Amino acid sequence: MNQTVTIQIDGSPLQAEAGANLLAAALEAGIDIPHLCYHPKLSPTGACRLCMVKIEGQKGLVMSCAVAIEEGQQVTTRDEEIEDARRQTLEYLLAEQNEEYDGTYRDELRELVLRYGLEDPARRRYPKLTGLVNRHFDDSSPVLSFDGSKCIKCFRCIKACGEVQGKHVLSFNDRGIGSYIIAGLGHWSGSECDGCGECIQLCPTGAIVEKLHRDEIDLSAGQAATSDPPALHKVRTTCPYCGVGCQIELFVQNGRILRANGVEGIPPNYGRLCIKGRFGYDYVHSTDRLTAPLIKRNGRHEEASWDEALELIARRFNEIRAAHGPDALAGYASAKCTNEDTYLFQKFIRIAFGTNNLDYCTRLCHASTVTAMLKALGSGAGSNSIEDFAKAECLFITGNNIIETHPVTATFAKNGKEKGHKIIVCDPRWTPMVRYADVWLQQRLGTDVALLNGLTQLLIEGGYVDKAFIRERVEGGLDSFAALQQQVAAYTPERTAEITGVPAEKLRKAAQLYGGAETAMVVTGMGMSQSTSGTNNVYALINMMLTAGQVGREHCGIDPPRGQNNVQGVTDVGCSPIAYPGYIPVGNKENRRKLADLWQVPFEDLPAEKGLTTIEIAQAAGRGEVKGMFIMGENPMITDPDLNHTRKALENLDFLVVQDIFPTDTTPLADVILPAACFAEKEGTFVNSDRRTVRVRKAVEPPGQARPDYEILLDLAGRMGYDLGSYSGSSDIFDEIARVAPIFSGINYRRIEQQGIQWPCPSSDHPGTPTLFLDAFKTANGKAHLVPVEHIEPSEHQSSDQPFLLNTGRNLYQYHTSTMSRRSPALNEYSNSSYVLMHPKDARQYDLEDGAAVRLFNQRGEITSTIRLHDGVNRGEIFVPFHFRETAVNNLTRAELDPDSKIAPFKLSACGVEKV
Amino acid sequence: MAKSKTPSNINSTAPQEAPVLIALQNAGKIDPANLSEYEQAGGFEALRQALQHPPEKIFQEVIDSGLQGRGGAGFPTGVKEKLTEESLCEACGPKYVVCNADEGEPGTFKDRAIMERDPHKVLEGLIISAYAIGAAQAYIYIRGEYTESIRRIRRAMQNCYDAGYLGGNILDSPFSLEVYIRLGAGSYLCGEELTLLESLEGKRGYPRIKPPFPAQHGLFGAPTLINNVETFAHIPYVVRNGAQVYRRLGMEDSPGTKVFTVSGDVQHPGIYEVELGITLRQLLETHCGGVRSGHRFKAALIGGAAGSLVSEALLDVPMGYQSLKSQGAVLGSGAVIIFDETRDLGEPLQSVMEFFRHESCGKCIPCRIGTVLLEQMAEKLASRPAGSRGELLNEMTREAEYMDRTSLCPLGKSPILSLGSAQRFFGAEF
Repeated sequence: MNQTVTIQIDGSPLQAEAGANLLAAALEAGIDIPHLCYHPKLSPTGACRLCMVKIEGQKGLVMSCAVAIEEGQQVTTRDEEIEDARRQTLEYLLAEQNEEYDGTYRDELRELVLRYGLEDPARRRYPKLTGLVNRHFDDSSPVLSFDGSKCIKCFRCIKACGEVQGKHVLSFNDRGIGSYIIAGLGHWSGSECDGCGECIQLCPTGAIVEKLHRDEIDLSAGQAATSDPPALHKVRTTCPYCGVGCQIELFVQNGRILRANGVEGIPPNYGRLCIKGRFGYDYVHSTDRLTAPLIKRNGRHEEASWDEALELIARRFNEIRAAHGPDALAGYASAKCTNEDTYLFQKFIRIAFGTNNLDYCTRLCHASTVTAMLKALGSGAGSNSIEDFAKAECLFITGNNIIETHPVTATFAKNGKEKGHKIIVCDPRWTPMVRYADVWLQQRLGTDVALLNGLTQLLIEGGYVDKAFIRERVEGGLDSFAALQQQVAAYTPERTAEITGVPAEKLRKAAQLYGGAETAMVVTGMGMSQSTSGTNNVYALINMMLTAGQVGREHCGIDPPRGQNNVQGVTDVGCSPIAYPGYIPVGNKENRRKLADLWQVPFEDLPAEKGLTTIEIAQAAGRGEVKGMFIMGENPMITDPDLNHTRKALENLDFLVVQDIFPTDTTPLADVILPAACFAEKEGTFVNSDRRTVRVRKAVEPPGQARPDYEILLDLAGRMGYDLGSYSGSSDIFDEIARVAPIFSGINYRRIEQQGIQWPCPSSDHPGTPTLFLDAFKTANGKAHLVPVEHIEPSEHQSSDQPFLLNTGRNLYQYHTSTMSRRSPALNEYSNSSYVLMHPKDARQYDLEDGAAVRLFNQRGEITSTIRLHDGVNRGEIFVPFHFRETAVNNLTRAELDPDSKIAPFKLSACGVEKV
Repeated sequence: MAKSKTPSNINSTAPQEAPVLIALQNAGKIDPANLSEYEQAGGFEALRQALQHPPEKIFQEVIDSGLQGRGGAGFPTGVKEKLTEESLCEACGPKYVVCNADEGEPGTFKDRAIMERDPHKVLEGLIISAYAIGAAQAYIYIRGEYTESIRRIRRAMQNCYDAGYLGGNILDSPFSLEVYIRLGAGSYLCGEELTLLESLEGKRGYPRIKPPFPAQHGLFGAPTLINNVETFAHIPYVVRNGAQVYRRLGMEDSPGTKVFTVSGDVQHPGIYEVELGITLRQLLETHCGGVRSGHRFKAALIGGAAGSLVSEALLDVPMGYQSLKSQGAVLGSGAVIIFDETRDLGEPLQSVMEFFRHESCGKCIPCRIGTVLLEQMAEKLASRPAGSRGELLNEMTREAEYMDRTSLCPLGKSPILSLGSAQRFFGAEF
């Protein structure tokens, strides 16, 4: 850290760090120096020349954005000469500027024009340079438009795209007064722009503006605009898409959301968003929303009152419980819902249903990761902060298409890369992160354990073993390491190459980068976890990490970024068949007693035994053992493996309730459908991927009769004869969570008003925990466990009639089952139909061309889709995204579960392909 | 062919001696493609000597010589070397030497002459400088249109690699150096040192904000020494003959020789290397055969577009960096464009303003807009009769002064040079 020095600004002392940027320090201290090209999160540009000051002892005017602070500097920020030069600069700028202003965006130039009294053209020194005002216009992007006549050439959009988002799509074309912004080689639509809109957010003048909803802003509602559209009020909340937990500001008018911006200056996203976060909110106001309870009568869903619907549900669930016992009931919670909703959901299931048959979609994504991490490290949560992706010197990214699935986290990884950090990508399929990677290990599907054991072996060979770490922090110390060493010895580079298809020299390079880095993080995703050996895959990864000692220090560790907004929180608050809120194990009398006391219910009323997991519940339903289900916000008819089987199971239920915001592929099966409020219509919290509890705030009213999930649950429980407690609001529910789950003890709404806090946070004066495992692991004795594992050949293989292995996953523009994202026309312009990625050589062999319609089939089902040639998949492997309901790829996947975590192998199914 | 004639030897005690040439010493005398001819003329002696000494001895010698950057700014070369050598930066990697051969100043063609006629000398100066600052890599950034310069430098580089003057363990010393050529693509601004570095990094040619200076944070963020071609061509002479001998040439505060490129209304336009301290009159009359026959001297544009327009009042001022500055003019790159009494000075001013508008990159507001305004005003200026446009010139000067105070890079600070000097020396004519 640099020393603190004192400088004088306009005669007042200011303490600042030596070497810090003068303009930044002044602005932070509230000293208003005019500027246009400077933005706190960008490097100084020096283009607008407005931030000029005088510094005693220096000649003339100096630009404060280019000054490093030194002890004793005497700075003058305004006098007649400075102000006159600023006025002249503004007048120059106005000479080339189209000043039309429609009031729908913040115009920083206009603010300065008003401040310097230059709004009247007659009072300006320079006439408009008619004919030279830049007329370049680019309207080709689905989400934004560029108007060169309003561009002040400040470079903020270029740096937003490059320095912040790491995309480098924007630049100038031409030079001098004729220069203008271009995307890629020409037009936005033909460029690599992915629509994140960082450029819109940082544009000071409205040269780049969003297309969506600007024409809906009612300007009469506000006065002359000098800041963000005055007619809109802003609500700060958390993005409802992936698990990054981006802080967003919703701009609302007349009960409608008309814009979303990133919140600058606070973690985790520091104003950054991706296309879904910025433009994906249309679903909130979709006319498809469920607006009234629906009861199925004679095979048709008919509108009903809340009273009628809830009375029916209460009666039927009570009947099933009475007739078949509590375990004939089960519930699916949702990673989309808030902590408060899902906390009450598990409380409802445990008390009103009296069962632990309670799970949610984490079972389908990170169950194996959590299982392995819990056993090996004592915690299933990511050990690091999202900012650490820019700080770790090496990132080992395996089975995680991070640019598409956690776009904002990926921007930090790209920032690190630009600082010279190293990136290793392991993925059977090309992902955009490969472009930034120092080495890409393209293993065959289903060979992760072999790959990681091979890397561990190379770490040992290369002398990268951290013996001191193993001795002190690993259970069994060097003895247990010896067992691992013996076990991985068989995974020589040659044999590993043979199993995985990755050349030995690439393996060596990866081991060298990971083992040799000062600090390194592993990042794991669905590619690792959604496998019959999912748990073993993650054990192998942890073994590699422990061998190199790349955990237990700052900027080191393991992170499984969460796919949905509240995957982390829903497990944290206990929507698990095996854990109470705060990861307190079920099946332990003491724990059960404590919880019963806290909930003020009789000990006997809480179920004693562990419950069934997601797919086990469906299987039990298929067998007729589970007879009634409550699904809150899940869509198993798209997300679960082997959909034909899932359908039969759900059809076999005596009574099914689905509570959601939209009709889904699951709702037709429901006896009662309940309309719920979405994230923008209620108060609450999410927990993001770096364990940060962040606020969700109400921006608009729910449509029709839709109600917040937790209100429905409280109401229903009451009608069933159970009291879940009385709460004055969501804040009250969170306070109970904090009492029940010790990881949240020190958190309350007041503390997270401005920015979130990372658990564990044991007390109200604790700042939260950015990095886990620094002193000890969360296991019983604080030590990590090595769990040697062997490569096992997957049970499905290519065969003559099913010659392909099918891999599934996501893309940037759609989200999960697309019930939300596909209601955004803008997102659909980028991606709105299914495709099959196939290696061109395979396509030639099977006589398929790009764009060919094909049928994919196996013994479980079939779908039709379209071939897209891509040499980024291995020969004999294909990839299909799972977003598109009309080609629901889970018709082809299987429910053969990983024995340890009960996760299904979505990433590997044999199938055949034929032309239709 | 250097049309070098006997210059008046200002400081020499022996005025009858043959003129001392440095940059163009071998020009026209040796085959520029032939390394041995360069060696026979004393080439690479300086490098051999330099490698016998510690680096600090070399840059100290250059400091003592008083050599100033010949690109136009005239910054003391040795001081730059010292700063770069002493710039310690663990994180920023190896140091670099960059040769600025992106000669683009209108009326200037000296670097081309030096590169075409004695390319080995430029390389020798570059190699010695790299040794002095501890660089292992060097870049030569050559104007893309200079195809012959590129060809000859490339050939000379190959010769140097073959002979062991470049590459690993140069002359069996521990010192190694790799040199790369990069071509400019026609942007005047890329001749500005910080913009040149951006361009070398593969980025668009936009000027960087200063500080940091190249000596601390230059190419790829590493400490970098960047010099003009002519400056490098002086290094072997300084090292071989020592600072004291060098200082005997030229003026006390502007030692050494300078290549002037003279064009316009003169009898013998061309390239002349003379000692600094020569007056414009001497240069014209002794070397260039005087003004176009039958005409009188009216004005000279010294330093190119980024130069000053001077009248006969300056004909007898010894030309050096300080002496011209004190008269409100600049030496710049050494371009001298002569105008006789038939010329209207509105014309060259218009041409200069058009040039700056065309070359302004557009990054900073004062230059982007200012150059357009000045071009428009200069058009008016050129179309109005003499005597009626004093106020217009004053207006232009005011704009240029504002641009000088607020612009980001030297380009926007340049129009004031010609406009200010036109106002000072030719106010009455406008």
